[in-house]
This record gives sequence, C-alpha cells and structure tokens, in this order.
Amino acid sequence: MVTNYEGGGGGGGGGGGGGSGGAAPPKSIPSGDDAVWADAAPLIEAACNDLQEGELVHGENFSLFAAMSALEIMDPKMDPGIESSGYCSVDEAIENGIAPVPLSFDRTVDVKHTLDVMDHLLACEATWHNGHSLAQTVFSCIYILRIERTSPHPLLHSYCRVMRATCNAVVSAVSDARTHEEEDLFTMSYGLPLKDGGDDKCLSILNSVEETVSRQLRACKAQPSKKKVLEEFESLQTNPDLEEGYCRAVLCRLRFRKHFYHALTCMRKPQGRGLELARKHIAACLSELDNMFKSLDFLRSHSLYHESAVTSTTASGCRAIGFDVSLNSRLLSPTPPRAVKVLSWIDAVSYFEKLLHYLDTICSFSLDPALESVLHFIVKFQLSQPPLVARAHLQQLLLVHDGKLYGRDSFSDVIARSLALPDVTKDKEFQTNEFVLQLGQLLINLIKILCANTAWQRRKLGKILQDWSVISIQLELALKREFGELLNSSVDESVCMKVSKHLLMWAQEQTYWIASRFLTLGFELQLYSPVNTAWFTGTSRRKGKKKRDHHARDSGRDAVASTYCLLLQCYMCLSEGLAMMLAALRNESNAFQMPNIFNSEQEDVVKHNYFREAQRIAASLKGSFSADPERLAELRLIEQVAEHNRIALNVINQVGAGDPTLRVPLEFTHHNHFVVAVVKRS
Amino acid sequence: MAAAECGGGSPAAAAAAAAEFAAAEIEYVSYGGEHHLPLVMSLVDDELSEPYSIFTYRYFVYLWPHLTFLAFHKGKCVGTVVCKMGDHRGTFRGYIAMLVVIKPYEAEESVYANLTSLKSLHFPFLATELVTRSIRVMMESGCEEVTLEAEVTNKGALALYGRLGFIRAKRLYRYYLNGVDAFRLKLLFPRPDPALLSANKDGRHKQHAENSAESSQIYI
Repeated sequence: MVTNYEGGGGGGGGGGGGGSGGAAPPKSIPSGDDAVWADAAPLIEAACNDLQEGELVHGENFSLFAAMSALEIMDPKMDPGIESSGYCSVDEAIENGIAPVPLSFDRTVDVKHTLDVMDHLLACEATWHNGHSLAQTVFSCIYILRIERTSPHPLLHSYCRVMRATCNAVVSAVSDARTHEEEDLFTMSYGLPLKDGGDDKCLSILNSVEETVSRQLRACKAQPSKKKVLEEFESLQTNPDLEEGYCRAVLCRLRFRKHFYHALTCMRKPQGRGLELARKHIAACLSELDNMFKSLDFLRSHSLYHESAVTSTTASGCRAIGFDVSLNSRLLSPTPPRAVKVLSWIDAVSYFEKLLHYLDTICSFSLDPALESVLHFIVKFQLSQPPLVARAHLQQLLLVHDGKLYGRDSFSDVIARSLALPDVTKDKEFQTNEFVLQLGQLLINLIKILCANTAWQRRKLGKILQDWSVISIQLELALKREFGELLNSSVDESVCMKVSKHLLMWAQEQTYWIASRFLTLGFELQLYSPVNTAWFTGTSRRKGKKKRDHHARDSGRDAVASTYCLLLQCYMCLSEGLAMMLAALRNESNAFQMPNIFNSEQEDVVKHNYFREAQRIAASLKGSFSADPERLAELRLIEQVAEHNRIALNVINQVGAGDPTLRVPLEFTHHNHFVVAVVKRS
Repeated sequence: MAAAECGGGSPAAAAAAAAEFAAAEIEYVSYGGEHHLPLVMSLVDDELSEPYSIFTYRYFVYLWPHLTFLAFHKGKCVGTVVCKMGDHRGTFRGYIAMLVVIKPYEAEESVYANLTSLKSLHFPFLATELVTRSIRVMMESGCEEVTLEAEVTNKGALALYGRLGFIRAKRLYRYYLNGVDAFRLKLLFPRPDPALLSANKDGRHKQHAENSAESSQIYI
C-alpha cells in the first residue's frame, strides 16, 4: 500500500519512493537457493509518481478507522523499541560493565554503590506504585533482572531477592482486587522474572546478612580505638571512621525491606488473623524509614558528586549504577511509550510513609460485623484518595476470596444483622432466600466498587443504581403478591411478612445510600462546578422524585429508611436553588463573556424557595443523626449555606438580577461542595 | 477551590476590544482538501505528546471534512479544529477530536498540547469560533450531543467549553500518557420539540430523564 501526499508535517515511514534506485541489497541479507533479492525502489517510485494527489492504494480490507491504530515503525513517539541506550539486550549491557558484581573492588566504594542501588530501587518501587510499569521501574535494574549474578554479593543479593518477592506479593494482592483503567498498568509483568520458587527463603538470607552487619556495627562501636583491626570478622567497609555510619545506613534499609515484606504477608492472612502482627511490622517500617532519612546527611557528606537532594533518586546524591530503562522497552504493552520520571528518593520515602499509614489504618479496623460500619469505614478511608496498593489491601481484607465479609461472615448474615430483627440470623430459610442471595451478591459488588479509584467508582455506582432499583421493585412486587391485602392492616404481622417488609426497606435504603455516594463523588471529582449544577439537578431530581413518590405511597414505613432519602433531597434542593439563582443572574446580566448559545433556555427568576426547603429538611434530619457527630456537623453546614443563600436570593430578587451595581461572588466559605453567594453592591 | 464571580461588567474591557479587532482579521475556512492536511497536521503534531499517525488525520478529514475548520491570519494557518460524528450506542453524537490555536506573535510556538487543550489564549475567541462552527454543523446535522475529553488541569479548555454549555459528565483516571486525569465534557442539545419545551421549564431535563427511565444512562 502506497500513499502519496505533498507537504510536510510528521508522519514518518512510507512516503514516496526515494533514494537509491539500483543499489545492491546489503550483503548481510543472503539470497536463498531459488530466490534472489532485487531492489524494488525504482518500481515503487514509478508507482508513486503515477498516483494523483490524495490517492491511496490499499487492500480490500483496509479501513481508515482501523488504520488509526497503526504504529509507525521507528517513530519514537509510537515505537518503544527505537528509543535505546545502545544496548540491544541485557547481556550486552552486562558485557559492557553496566552492572558489575562486586560493584567495586574497593569495599567502601562497593558499600556506597550498593546503598545507591538500594535507594534507587526504592525510588523505582514508589514510581511503579504511582502509575508506571514494573518493566520501566523496578525491573530497569539489571541486578534484579539477573538476580543469580548477585549471589557472590550477599548484601545486594538478599536485598534484591526480598525486593522481588515483595513486588510479587504486591502484584498478586492488587491482581486479586482487580484493577481498572490506567491502573491495569500496575500488574503487567509479561516477560519479567517476577516469580521465583526460591523466594520464600529470601528472608532467611536477609536475616543472616542483617545479623552480620549488626555484629559489625556492635564491633565498631565497642572498639576504644577505631583504628584497631578486627580479628574475628571483616568490617563492612575499609574506613574505620565511616564504619558506624555505613552500618547504620545499611541496617535500616535491610530492616525496612524485611518488615515491609512481613507486614504484607501478615495482612494476607485470612480473617484478619495477622493484622495485629502486621501493625507491629508497619511500626517497625516507619521507624526504619525514619532512620533511612536520618542517614541522608551522612551519605551526602561522604559522596563526591551531588545531585540536588530534591531530585536525586538516592540518599547520597550519586547516580546509581546498574539501571537501564530502555532494556525492557520491547516488553512494554503495545501502546505508545510513556516517559518515566523516577520519583526522588525523598518523595519515595514520603510515599512509603503515607502508604504505611494507610495500611495501618486498615489493620486497625475492628472488623465490625455491622454493614453500616464497613461502608462508613470505606468512605472515610477513600476521602484522602489512598493509593492503589492501599485500596487493594482494603478490599482484600473485606472480601477475601470466598465471598464472605472478612472471609468470615456470609453476606446473608450481614444482611440479616442489618435488618435489626432478632432470630433472623439463624433462620435457614432466610439464608437461602433467593432475594437475600441476590442482595448478597449486590453487596459484594458494591464493596468492590467502593474500594476502586473514585473516578471509576462513580461511574460504576451510577450503573449499579439500576440493579438495586430493579431488585427493590421485584421485592415490592413479591411482597404484594404474597401478602396482598394484609400489608396495610394493623393485624399482627407474621414473621415472614415482617422480614420481607424490612428487607424491602433495607434494599431501598441502600439504594439511596448509593445515590448519595454517587452525588458526593461528583463533588469530590469536581464534576459539579456551580454552573454545571443545572444539569445534575435536573436529572437527579427526576430520578429522586420517582423514588420519593414510590416511597411515599407506602404508609407506615419505618422512618429510618428514609433518612438517606431526605439527605439526598436536601442536597438536591441546595443544588437546584444554586442553579436557579445562577441562571437568573446569568440571563439577566452580562456576567459571562460569551452567551451560552447552545443551551439558552428561559429560566424564570426563582419562585420556589429551594433554600428554605433545604433548611426545613436539614432541621428535621437532626434527630435521625443525633448519634453521628459528623453528619450533625454536615447538617449544620447545610443549614448555614441554605440560610446565606436564601438571604442573598432575597436581596437579588428585590434589587433585580440585572442591576449593574450588583456583584455576586460565589465562595466555598462554609461547605466544600456548595458555594455561598455574597451579594455586594458597588 | 477558586471562587467564581458573576454579575457586573468585565474589568478587561481594553483587552477584549483589542482581541475583537484582531479577531476581525481571521478567516475561517472549512476543510478544502489535501492541501489543508499538512497545515492541520503540523499544527497538531507540534504540540502533541499523544502521537497521531497520518491515518488518524485522514480518518477525520476524509470522512467528515465539513467538521474540520481552519483559521487563517494574513495567509498563515493559526488554528484548527478536527471533529467527527456518528452513532454511539443509539445516540447520534458529535466528537471534538483536536483543537489547536497558536500564539501568533511568537515564532511558530504553539501553546496547546494534546487533544482539545488550550493553555493560554492570545486570540481568546479564535478557539471558541472554531469550535462553535463545528458544533453548529453537528447541530444542524442532527446530533443530539457533543463530547470531548480535556485534561482536568487545563483551565483554559474547561473554561472555554464551560461557557459553551458543556458539563463534566465523567472523570477518567490517568487518561493521558502523562498520567493526568481527564474530564469527559458533554454538551446536550435541546430537543427540537417546542411543545415539550414550553410546557415545563425543566423541559429538556425532564425529556432526557424520562427517556432514560430507570436506566442510568444519563449518568454515563
């Protein structure tokens, strides 16, 4: 297929004929027995000249849409293999001395280089966690790619083994939780020597190295004169004055690795059995990270070349040897290559501190069997946007493989407890009820979604809202079918009827909870700027109204079931009020430079006072949330926002929205998601 | 979070006037053929971190030439918009693929990176003009909505599309090669039935919501 176009701009490859007509093919391409190579350039050139501008020669199955996925070979933007350090393979790089073992024949320099490798590996690990591929980060280390080469060097060897085992453990934890969107990059390890049968022994190797260095540290501290030569065993390195500093630097790094691996292993123990021990290891990790940070000054002062501490990927400031990012370029996924910027060592240490605190939070969770506590915990955990590794471990704790909460409680039990009806938990009929089983599945799915990144989470919540609505409707229909007329009478309800009613209310309440989470996430993801609330309120108000009407028809329902419904209504009233107020201001004034020519609708100045309605609802909700200080605080904020806006609206109505002296800045002074209008006249 | 202001006059009247004067010198042209293609490509290629092959450009300009516009200033191509439209899960939808405008007073330096991103505007209305023309064609061709993606950090693009009535329908995690999230921006055209629109002030929203019934499509 040949294209012919004039003019410049991009698009390498292909193109008209060119160059060397009639030249002999290079000697490195041998001819076969029945075939000879012939230069086709003149033929192609002639064909090109024959084509008119814009004409294309293509096969029958050619489609422009499919062709968009074409990669232009040798275009560095698309062809990851073309960017190269010059080494075609790991072996070639090794042959050229890129990753020597030992790292130096001078033992002091060897220790320095080893520390740099450890530090750069930590920085790579943090970079990987933050959204890059393993291949371009941790596995850019030739020592990790060919671990067996490091066997004669116990310190480096043990560190690399535990490092690899840790990466393997993290990949498997995250794979189990399943990743979404760009997080899929995290678990990709095609072609990388990630797993190795012998890695379960890696800790014992590390322990023995740790023991050796500990003894070296004790020895150098015990000596009255540092110059005395030790007879029992060799020191870590040759300069007695630096022995203590380097021993400490090495030890804290080894210990961090060890405790981190232990923490992850403990967290994987089913039913939360290892959580307490994990917390001890996490505490030890944090302590060792602190020691690592303290080693910064010592290491920098004893290294020759300094990169700025802010950008350097090692504590010493030196570039680590033994790394080559481009070696794995052919293992990368068939998307255009991403430029990787390895985090600085300081940022990497900060990242691990943060991650460990998240892991500690997970380990401190009381494994409360109450569903509401679980949901509340997840929501709170997600507020500060925890990293993927933390979220995956949370999900792992909550939903270990066999679909039980904490690997311990069946979801039928969880639902039974949530209904707050005694005796139901032990009822076998309840456990095997079709609706209960379905609701259990929906709950499992909900928890998985809630542990995902918030952007993806919100979209999924929007979709499962339908599943929950459908099952609520089915429950209601089943209830009516079975008990029909008895539903509204004051006759004593049979246990079965009571359970069914509670189950229905519970399902509806979860549906509202999901809807309110969907709404809140929209704010957190900044989808609702003040101007955009119009769209949101329109649609969700309709949806909410359907549910409210639905709900209102059933009399005698437990008020508890409608708290989330009311809270949702409250938010919607605020949003709608704001949208209407903004629309009024927009239509009557030249507030925005460009009129909205595509969505111009006539918005009446607000007649219905949404703010007053929001205040009324907030006040009525206080009783329901009396035990929940966070919710109460939220309600107070809502009341304040509503009050300020209601007053602002009154002023605007009196003065007239088109008054040129009017200035109405909107500020997030009271609430994170809802603005308050402050009316000013100039 | 930043505060937004509404009401009253714009303080940058002088700048706006200058921009309007400059805007009068701009010539907008619909994609006319092969001779326009290298202009579009070089504008977009110069600023893009996301790579596009020749086939990507051809896909858009061959199939939807009436949706690609170029802006010329004194004979030089200073901006372009590239779009498509088609059926997407039962909705006839327009899509803005690329929007680039250069800063005219610096030597060929473009200030836009990635699809539909505008880092700063020297001709503040030029990009809007280009986009508006495409959207008009989409509207007239029967599109029900228009979408695009923009970096969450791209305040210029978000403001431009926000003024045109686009809402942020979704957030896409780490959408771009550089790890930045994207917003999926969406513009919903009013439904053409005037009777329904006038019956209820929430007409458009109601129409959409009722069509989607119990489905969550509206949230997507």
